[in-house]
Amino acid sequence: MKLNVNGVEHALESGALTPLLHVLREELGVTSPKAGCQSGGCGACTVLVDGEPRRSCLTPLGAVDGAEVTTIEGIGDAHDLHPVQEAFHTLHAAQCGFCTPGMIVATVALLKRLPQPGRREIERALSGHICRCTGYVKIVEAVEAAAGGSR
Amino acid sequence: MRAVGARVEKVDGIGHVTGQTTFVDDWRIPGMLWAKVLRSPHDHAAITKLDVAPALAVPGVRAVITHEDVPKNVLGHLEGLGVPADEPLLAESDVRWKGQPIAVVAADSEEAALAGVAAIGVSFEERPALLDVRLAFEADAPKAHHWGNWFPHFGGPDTPPDHRKIRKGDIDAAFEQADAIVQGVYRPNAIEQMPVEPQVCACVPESNGRLTIHSCTQGVYFTMGIVAGHLGVPLNRLKFIAGTVGGGFGGKVESWTEPVVALLALKTGKPVKLRFTREEEFLCTSTRAPWHIEIADAVTSDGWILGRKMLTLHDAGAYARFSPYGVTKHSFHIAGSYAIPNIHFDGYVVFTNRTPTSAMRGFGVTSVSWTIETQMSRIASVLGLDPYEVRLRNASRIGDTTPNWVTLHDPSSVPVIQAAAEAAGVELTADYRTMTRDPRSGDLLPEWLEGQLGDLDAKES
Ligand code: FES
Ligand code: FES
Repeated sequence: MKLNVNGVEHALESGALTPLLHVLREELGVTSPKAGCQSGGCGACTVLVDGEPRRSCLTPLGAVDGAEVTTIEGIGDAHDLHPVQEAFHTLHAAQCGFCTPGMIVATVALLKRLPQPGRREIERALSGHICRCTGYVKIVEAVEAAAGGSR
Repeated sequence: MRAVGARVEKVDGIGHVTGQTTFVDDWRIPGMLWAKVLRSPHDHAAITKLDVAPALAVPGVRAVITHEDVPKNVLGHLEGLGVPADEPLLAESDVRWKGQPIAVVAADSEEAALAGVAAIGVSFEERPALLDVRLAFEADAPKAHHWGNWFPHFGGPDTPPDHRKIRKGDIDAAFEQADAIVQGVYRPNAIEQMPVEPQVCACVPESNGRLTIHSCTQGVYFTMGIVAGHLGVPLNRLKFIAGTVGGGFGGKVESWTEPVVALLALKTGKPVKLRFTREEEFLCTSTRAPWHIEIADAVTSDGWILGRKMLTLHDAGAYARFSPYGVTKHSFHIAGSYAIPNIHFDGYVVFTNRTPTSAMRGFGVTSVSWTIETQMSRIASVLGLDPYEVRLRNASRIGDTTPNWVTLHDPSSVPVIQAAAEAAGVELTADYRTMTRDPRSGDLLPEWLEGQLGDLDAKES
């Protein structure tokens, strides 16, 4: 089985039923997607599969063979922050940071699809992402700021 | 104080937004084993058989630990405060709550560890369970704890009293003078802290005999003490890597995974990781406690509270953990931010066959604060008065005393209630809008509060 992860091709040993989350974390050592619930409930494991947000804990490797996977490592780094990362940082939308990679990749996908989303669309796009620290106000404000900034 | 009021960059923020913060689960440790837990399927039962040999025969399983492998199995969280120890790290002859850990398996993979847990030979003899604090005092109630159904050691090990008790003023006189009695029963329920990062811990045995422990604990020195205590080793054998916590809210004071992985690492000589599933997190880790609180207030028709009778039953679950401390804190706050001259309070830590309860965001106080504010609104509605005015009339002022006779030098009840009214768009009448928190005098010092003022000049000891 194969995956292109953040632009790099990988041939994989994991079986077809192994959750994508496990493949990324344990076989490839890509640890930004988090195992918050491993049952589809929290959104902390979200990655982009061919540009679409997916819960990697519920996605068997066999279902995404050959796909392009983007994690937050493929979106920007400390020296070259993506505007969404910048907004989450400066507007204090990440407190403990555990939900943050999932929130940010979902936001990046949202802004690609809908560059100037309204509050309702932001809330809908992030509704499956649980954050227990920050409260959602600052997160929605950061998404709005990132959208404004990229206008 | 340069940070107060300033916008300060979050020190770990860049790591968070780039996914580079290393949480406990993110450490890559070569050769690491996974641990999984055998837990009680019953609320209450005797363990009649425990045979781990079949688990050791499962391919990939490296070790199994039971209570026999723990140098000091029963350890108290609050022994330093005089609360004796009652809870085993791993169950011995009985299980007292559904989810109580009995044995832990370490194996090459998560799957092998689960297969090992399934292979353990265990049988139980079920016992009646106590699941409702209100039944705990009945003569034929199931026995939830070896100390009895309520915590008996508020005075220290083997020492009464068996509950927290406050008596202030003359409660009978207050009820005789009252125009009305306003009663309420309040039952704030259990809440799971639910950090998005579940409990997880990894331990690496080092070649010099020390143990490196990656922990998501909220209280690193507390947890170090717990590990050292269970293992019977000095603190300098332990190196903790901690401080990155994926949310805790009190739940990560629980220090159970750390000693368990440390024991497995010692037994196997290999690094071991234990990560709870979300199901374990909900069913088997401590929650905020459920409380049962009964109040009867003696009030005058113009809204003064003359006296309060109150009974609190705090559901500790199966073991004490921090509950005696929670009820002690609770007892200091039974009047809320109000001056109540006559008080009769009894508060019990009740044991049940539920998951043990523990810390969560102001535990002990949040339950009573919610209860008292709800009761204040009930008093206002029973008497047909404005709820803000009832609060302001009784609000603590400089020089007032709390139920346990602490003199208040700096109470903020009056300005806070006024600010709440303003934020809610409620117009207060002039008397209440201009009220200050200055020491009582005139109409605000009725006869029943006269003997209650504290000495503001006395030196705090
Ligand atoms: S870990 Fe996948 S949704 Fe929670
Ligand atoms: S920042 Fe902690 S869960 Fe969102």
